[in-house]
Amino acid sequence: MSDDIGAHSAEPSASATDAAIRFAGVTKQFGEATAVRDLNLEIENGEFFSLLGPSGCGKTTTLRMVAGFEQPTEGSIFLEGNPVEDVPPYKRNVNTVFQSYALFEHLDVADNIAFGLKRRKVDAAEIRTRVGEAVELVQLQGRESARPRELSGGQKQRVALARALVNRPAVLLLDEPLGALDLKLRKQMQVELKGIQREVGITFLYVTHDQEEALAMSDRIAVMSEGVVQQCGVPEDVYERPAGPFVAGFIGISNLLPGVAENLGVRLAGGQLCQAAVPGDCTVGTEVQLSVRPEKIWLDQLEPGMVSLEGSIVERVYVGTTTQVIVELEPGVRLVALEQNTARVEVHDRWNIGDRVRLGWRPEHSLVLR
Amino acid sequence: MSVEAAPAPAAQSPPRRRVKQFDRPRFLRVFTAVFYLFLFAPIVLVVLFSFNSTRSLQNFEGFSLRWYERFFESESLRDSLIASVEIALITMVVATILGTMLAYGLVRARTRWSGTANVLMLVPLVTPEIVAGASALLLFTQIGLQLSLTTIVLGHITFSISYVTVVVRGRLASLGPEVENAALDLGATRLQTFRLVTLPELWPAILAAGLLVFALSFDDFVMSFFTTGESPQPLPVRIWSAIRFGVTPTINAIGSFMLAVSMLAIGLALLLPRLLGRRESGLGVLIGREGA
Repeated sequence: MSDDIGAHSAEPSASATDAAIRFAGVTKQFGEATAVRDLNLEIENGEFFSLLGPSGCGKTTTLRMVAGFEQPTEGSIFLEGNPVEDVPPYKRNVNTVFQSYALFEHLDVADNIAFGLKRRKVDAAEIRTRVGEAVELVQLQGRESARPRELSGGQKQRVALARALVNRPAVLLLDEPLGALDLKLRKQMQVELKGIQREVGITFLYVTHDQEEALAMSDRIAVMSEGVVQQCGVPEDVYERPAGPFVAGFIGISNLLPGVAENLGVRLAGGQLCQAAVPGDCTVGTEVQLSVRPEKIWLDQLEPGMVSLEGSIVERVYVGTTTQVIVELEPGVRLVALEQNTARVEVHDRWNIGDRVRLGWRPEHSLVLR
Repeated sequence: MSVEAAPAPAAQSPPRRRVKQFDRPRFLRVFTAVFYLFLFAPIVLVVLFSFNSTRSLQNFEGFSLRWYERFFESESLRDSLIASVEIALITMVVATILGTMLAYGLVRARTRWSGTANVLMLVPLVTPEIVAGASALLLFTQIGLQLSLTTIVLGHITFSISYVTVVVRGRLASLGPEVENAALDLGATRLQTFRLVTLPELWPAILAAGLLVFALSFDDFVMSFFTTGESPQPLPVRIWSAIRFGVTPTINAIGSFMLAVSMLAIGLALLLPRLLGRRESGLGVLIGREGA
C-alpha cells in the first residue's frame, strides 16, 4: 500500500488508528430536497459496514460522496484521516462496484480489470500478475478475453468486483452489487463476497435495501431513513433491539402494537397489560409501541410468566420452512406468529382460520418503542 | 382497391387455413409491393437510362457508358463533383465534431436549461429548408461574406449538427453516466475518461452520424442553391441549371452516380456500427484500441 499513499492522499499523515471513513456532520441537499442530514459515522479499518434502508433514504448518496461523485453540502468526509473535499474521484483511494456494473463494453475482461492499474502506471509485468490474482479471486479463470456482453449477470458482477479490488483500495464501495442477480445467485454471492472481504481485509462499505443481505454479511449496519441514520450497530443489535418503530418495521417482520407505558409494561389499546422493560425516559402514560418478533411468539401451551393474549386466527400463509399465522386480537390489531414446519408438527393440522387461540411470549422479548 | 379485394381470397380458402390468412392478409402484401414499385420505379428508370446507348429517354436500346464518359470528361462537371465532395467532407468532419460536443453537453449537463436546449436543438430538423436557406443567404450578404464554397459549407454545417447530435445523444444516453464514473473511480482523469472510455463507446454512433451527414450534404440542393457562388457550383445545383435546357442522359448518369455515392455513405452508416459492435470486427484497427 505504501506506493498508493503518495498518489492518493494529500498528506501522508494517516495513522493506523484513524477510521477508514469518518463522516463529520455531513449533509447533502439536492435543491430543496435533503438526501442526507447531519451524518456522523466512523467506519473502522477492515470492517464490513452496510448502509441499509429503503430507496431514497440517502444511502447511495452517502456512498457517492465517499467516491467523490457528489460533494457534501455541509460537513466533511475523512478517508484514512484525511479530508477529501478537494480530492477528485480519480485521486481517492477508494473504488466502487456499481449496481449497473458499468463495465467497459469495448474492453475484454482482463483489460477491464487492468484499467485502474494502467492509469496508475503500474508496470506491465505486475499488472499481469495482479490481474491474474484478481481473476482467480473472483473465479473467472478462462474468461479473461471475453467481452462484457458475452458474460452472464453473475460473471459481470465478478468482473466489476475484480476491477475494483485489483487496485487494493483503502475502502471498497459497493452499491447494491447483488441487486440485479436472481435470488439463488444472490445468496451464493453473499457468502462469496463475505469470504473475499475476509481474505483481502479491505474495508467494505456496502449499500443495500435488502435487510437479509445486510444481516448476513455485515460486521455493522447503519439503518437509514429519510437521510438520517436511525440506528447503527452489529446485526444482532439492530434485529433484536431495534432503536425505533422504523428499524423494527424495516428489518424483518415486526409486530407493532400501540399502547401506553405503565410501570410494569405496556397497556394495549384493548386493555391488556403486556410485561416489558420500559425504558427510563418513558414516563407512565407515554404513548408507545410494543414490538415483538414473530418467531418469539408462542401459540397455545404457554409457559408461566409469559405475556398472554387471546385472539382468533384470520390467515395462514405457508412459506415453506415456516407458516405465518396471523392472529387478530381485536378489529384492526393483528399479530404475525411464525410456526416451524418441523417433521413433528404440521401447522395446517393445528391452526385453522377462525380458531380462537391463546398466544404469548417471554417478557424479555417485549420491546418498547417510542 | 386492395382493401375491397381482401375478403375474397379469405372466403375461398378452406376453413383450416383461415386463421393463417387472417394473420397475414394478402392485400397487405400487394399494397407493400405497389408501395415499393412507386418508390423505386423512377429511380430504377433513371439508373437504367443512364446506361442507354442512345439519347432516347423512352426506349432502352443497348448498354453503354457514353453518358458517364461525357460526365467525367466535362471539366466544369468534374469541378462541380469535386466541389460537392469537398463540401461534404468538410461538413462531415466539422458537423460531427460540433454535434458530438453538443450531444455531450446536452446529455451530461445538469442545469434547468437542459430541457429547453434539448428541444431547441431539434428546431433545425423541422425548419423548412427554404427558410434556413433564405435566412443563411440574408445573413451572409448582410455581414458581407462573399458567396462561395465556404458559405455553402457553413450552411451545410448549420443543418447537419442537429442530425449528429440526435444520433450521438441517443448512444450517449444509453451509455449512462455510470460508465464514466467508473473510469474516474479507477483513476482516469476527465480527459482520459473521455478518450479511453466515452469515445470508444461512442465511435460507432459518431461514424454513422458522420456518414449520414456526408450523404445529406452531398445531395443537398436547397441550402446549396441559396448559398452558392458563381463557380464552381455543387453538383445538385449544376444539375438543376442544366436541366433548364432540357433533360439529357448525362443528367441520368450524374444522378445515378450521386445515388451510388449517397447509398454507399448511408449503407456504411447503417452497417458500420453493427460491424463495430461485433467482437471479431476490425474495431481495434479502426479506433486504435489499446491492448489485444
